[in-house]
Amino acid sequence: MLIFADPRLARDTKIRRASRSAPVTRPDPLPEPSSRAQRAVIAAGLCMMFAGLSGQLVRLGMKADATVVAALVEPVATTVSRPDIVDRNGRLLATDVEVHSLYADPARVLDRDEAVEKLATLLPDLDTAELSSSLSDRAKRFVWVRRQLSPRTAQAVHDLGLPGFAFRKELRRAYPLGALAGHLIGGVNADNRGVSGLERYIDDSVGVDPVHTTRPTERPPVRLSIEVGAQAGLEAELADATGRFHAVAAAAIVLDAHSGEIIAASSLPRVEPARAADALDPTKRDRLQSGTYELGSIFKTVTIAMALDAGLITPATVFDVTQPLMAGRFEIKDLHGAGRPLTVTEIFLHSSNVGAGMIALVAGAAAEKSFLARAGLLTSMRTQAGPVAAPVAPERWDRAETITISYGHGIAVAPLQFAAAAAALVNGGTGIVPTYLLRKPADPAPDAPRIVSEATSAAIRTLMRANVTDPAGTGRRADVPGYEVGGKTGTADIAGPRGYHQGGVISSFLAAFPASAPRYVALVLLFEPKPTAESGGKVLAGLTAAPATARIIARLGPLLAR
Amino acid sequence: MHTLTFAAVFLVLSSALLLYGLNYDTRLIESGVAASEHSADRLRADIAVMRAERAHLSRPDRIDPMARSLGMRPTEPRQIAGEHQSQIAGADHGAR
Repeated sequence: MLIFADPRLARDTKIRRASRSAPVTRPDPLPEPSSRAQRAVIAAGLCMMFAGLSGQLVRLGMKADATVVAALVEPVATTVSRPDIVDRNGRLLATDVEVHSLYADPARVLDRDEAVEKLATLLPDLDTAELSSSLSDRAKRFVWVRRQLSPRTAQAVHDLGLPGFAFRKELRRAYPLGALAGHLIGGVNADNRGVSGLERYIDDSVGVDPVHTTRPTERPPVRLSIEVGAQAGLEAELADATGRFHAVAAAAIVLDAHSGEIIAASSLPRVEPARAADALDPTKRDRLQSGTYELGSIFKTVTIAMALDAGLITPATVFDVTQPLMAGRFEIKDLHGAGRPLTVTEIFLHSSNVGAGMIALVAGAAAEKSFLARAGLLTSMRTQAGPVAAPVAPERWDRAETITISYGHGIAVAPLQFAAAAAALVNGGTGIVPTYLLRKPADPAPDAPRIVSEATSAAIRTLMRANVTDPAGTGRRADVPGYEVGGKTGTADIAGPRGYHQGGVISSFLAAFPASAPRYVALVLLFEPKPTAESGGKVLAGLTAAPATARIIARLGPLLAR
Repeated sequence: MHTLTFAAVFLVLSSALLLYGLNYDTRLIESGVAASEHSADRLRADIAVMRAERAHLSRPDRIDPMARSLGMRPTEPRQIAGEHQSQIAGADHGAR
């Protein structure tokens, strides 16, 4: 049956149909009464429908009932896509991979207890009480069950066929080299956001891309100054030294003496970037830049550089070190005094505390403080791996402090900060900014303030080389044939709440190689080494840290020569 | 007048058909692009996993003991001669 909206059209059609069958003598003037009634009924129905809808909308809008909830209001977690981290040769250290995360829609979970029980068999550390509680709230439409499952576990959960549970793909940070360089790489949280180390730096300075998918970012990788082979060699040798000398911890850094690029840096025990709990373990803190220590006699390098640069002494200047030096109520004396006056060179080789104190007194407290500030040892610094622990210097800097600081006590600095200052003393005298990122040749050279003169730097290099080659030197065991190692030993008593800890020392060695024109500076520290047969029953740095440094240089040297 | 009406109707119908065809083609192309992008994303994800696996398999912690079990050792300074060593060793290369 045809229905026409226009009554005139309907009427005309009827006329035409009629004309085909029989002649028409009288047109139909008006629509049938039933059509008019139908239209009225339809119009009334439509009006009622719209009135009902309007009324319902007004009712919902005015009703302030807490039970009214809108579905899909739970925030769906987004993730971020991070650039890869590679070493200076492009070897991968960190990348994003796609993983599955398990979530639930409580409204669609049929048997909550059974589901929780089955999941607990596959996820033993699942908090079943909390999950059960979350699933009982059927108003929620999204509950995370477990983020970032391994592919095998995800498949096992999928095979359970639990209704109301599904997977969402996310990006997860993978560290294929495990704990290698773990301290400086840092870590990310469950949303793939950097929380520490270089990962935090990437979030803050390089940039990451928030994504709703698992599409990897197209940002170029972050290229580090670290060399994976050198880093692995350093960590292996450091672990070996820790075992041989029964040290409780160790740390070492090798950096380019001119560019400040850190080639390898490690603090033992290591941390796994993928294990967030490791970063919270105080025994695994990064001793290179998160802790400050009284570094002992390696500080004499700074003291002598200060006096040489000021023209107060020469390597041949003689000091009478036969008598103890009084610093307030403390008596400063040498462990193995020579029993005769010593030249500056001999003070360095014998590592005479009295001699260093006397040199510092020649310069004075103000000059000492000023020089340490110029060398960057009194101000805070930071690297891409985070802030370096601020130096701890005495508020009152009098005669006693001047003497103790001259041989590395009474002032505590982070080893990384000291290594950077030492590099300036041997590279010709210009300051460096330590960096974990590879400097591009096109990059403008960072500001290089002059710390000491070329002549002073040359004199320091000569002293350091003599300390390794001279029979009287304390660093003889650091020599590596072919690498012209120069250096200075440091054996520092560890300060505790009740004075210096008896027997506990930080054994350190500051090295530069090749000494005639250093390209690299290395600083190696062993924390609380124990006397062993290899060290002759002593814990002196010349018998512990020095041979450890030699092994590190011998291991890394061939890699650095490439 | 009728001719104009028929021409207009013809044009309208032709345009409608043309637009429908273009719309259909566009949707087809969009579908193809989406499929290609999805495929590319899958490949990128696979490449990322394979790169991570390759790096994991060649990690020094794994290679070192394997190499040592084959009798190999880290390179020693005495094994490097000539210009390579001189780059590091400086003036006293070979002197000691």
